[in-house]
Amino acid sequence: MLVSLFLMGSSFAAPQLAIQSASQTIVEGGADGTTRGVNRVLGGIISYAKWPGERPGAARTMCIVGDPRLTDRIAPAVAGGPTISVRRMTAAGVTGGGNCDIIFLGQMPVADRQRLIAWVRGRPVLTITDDDPNCSFGAMFCLSGRTGSVSFSVNLDAIGRGTLRVDPRVLKIGSDGGGR
Amino acid sequence: MSGRPPERTGPRTTLQKLLSRFHFGITLFAVALSGATILLAGVTTLRGYADRNMELAARLGAYGVEPALVFNDPQAAREGLEPLMRIPGIARLRVLDDRGRALSEWTSPVGDPAPLLTSLFFPRPFAATVQRNGSVIGRIEVWGDSSTLIDYVRLGLLAGLGCLLVTALGTIVLARRFEYELVKPLNEIATVAHDVRLHRRFDKRVQPLGIAELDRLGGDINALLDELQGWQGTMESEKALLAHRASHDMLTAMPNRSAFDEQLALRIQSAKQRGERFAVLFVDADNFKAANDNHGHRAGDALLVALSARIKETLRKGDFAARIGGDEFIVIIDPLDPGIAPETLAARIQSSVSQPVTLPGGGEYRLRISVGVAVYPDHGADATALLTIADAAMYADKMVNRPKI
Repeated sequence: MLVSLFLMGSSFAAPQLAIQSASQTIVEGGADGTTRGVNRVLGGIISYAKWPGERPGAARTMCIVGDPRLTDRIAPAVAGGPTISVRRMTAAGVTGGGNCDIIFLGQMPVADRQRLIAWVRGRPVLTITDDDPNCSFGAMFCLSGRTGSVSFSVNLDAIGRGTLRVDPRVLKIGSDGGGR
Repeated sequence: MSGRPPERTGPRTTLQKLLSRFHFGITLFAVALSGATILLAGVTTLRGYADRNMELAARLGAYGVEPALVFNDPQAAREGLEPLMRIPGIARLRVLDDRGRALSEWTSPVGDPAPLLTSLFFPRPFAATVQRNGSVIGRIEVWGDSSTLIDYVRLGLLAGLGCLLVTALGTIVLARRFEYELVKPLNEIATVAHDVRLHRRFDKRVQPLGIAELDRLGGDINALLDELQGWQGTMESEKALLAHRASHDMLTAMPNRSAFDEQLALRIQSAKQRGERFAVLFVDADNFKAANDNHGHRAGDALLVALSARIKETLRKGDFAARIGGDEFIVIIDPLDPGIAPETLAARIQSSVSQPVTLPGGGEYRLRISVGVAVYPDHGADATALLTIADAAMYADKMVNRPKI
């Protein structure tokens, strides 16, 4: 796990890379472990998602809306995959032409969340949240943190409504109580 | 002198057993050879399939555990391996992450039936790397076991055993058929030979058997039998001739003394049984010696032949005449008619003989004979008595006939 993160780290061009690299120096500590776990899971989910008309290796933009609950140092690591640039945006910024491929929904007003979910419907955008343990608010993937591990679950309805293709193996891991 | 062939030592066997053994040997060899070949080829092929199977299993596993490796999820890794656990012939599975640490491991609950065979067959695990977007994120290792191979070998051996059984049955059937086709004709030949030897059936012949070699043997035996039959015929006629010679006089072709003795015994027995009478006439030439001396042996012989011919002329059917000595003859008149006196018979023969005989050297000779009669049972009840009486009567007659000096 750590090695893959090191490998991923070398391909980051965004400013978060520095933060990510700096955080790797910290070996111990619950928060740091969670950060690494979150980034790993995020990278995995992204790597198994396919955007329509995607060119291999095309860079992806991740827009973070609201405040992530698990970690504030989000820098998804995708081994050998596309570079992902992370931007913090407002809900209005996203809907107003933010050019986001991935939306990370942190803690935010319910209205904003509903607006974003509604906006995403029919668009090639991957939605991930860490503020919905039951995964019922409409985001495609929901992360949750427990001591020592990060897990994710899948909202199949949301994925079905979107135009993205997600590898069924991931759906299986995420829906069959897997992904601890 | 018949030379017996040397006795064969050791137990003897029948042709059928021999053929059976021969057949069984050949078929056993064929079955064993083909069985071994098939088994070897099968094992080799199976090995290839097993290798490919393991490779495919490893690749399937690599696909299945890929997300698990991405998310570093042991539970998902185990789920990804599940399809492989159901494949027979897999003993152990292991998923390693990119640092070589085991993420998940599984060992088949079914023990390896033959670890030695497994180590021979699958010395190393089959490994497949798990790649994600071109970079290696982990490794899956698959160990095979020899259960499928053992199943195959077991099945092969079972099939071999079945083949052996069929072979044995087939051999029996074939041997039976051979017995019918080969042993039966041979037996026929043996039967003919046996018949000929035991019952002197020289007319028996071996019938055509339809097998070239046996027919040749049969033909030779038949030719041998032809020769034997020829010899047998010659021998029998020679025997008859010898028997005739033994019982007959060479010169006059009349029965001789021994034949007469036999005949007399028979007549006595038969007359006794039937209560009949018969007469024995002792005939002796009176002047034969003189003829022999004066005219030579040829003349004597001619006289004897003539005398026997004359005696024969007087015989009825059933009568019997024999030459029992140089110029002595005996006639049996059997049966003797009660109305005829024995002297009449003597007179009849004497008158028949008294006709002159032409000698070979020219000239004639008048034979005289003396005749003595004895009648059974009037004069005697056995041969000796009858002959004594007849002889005495003849002698008396001779005294009467002797020319007075």
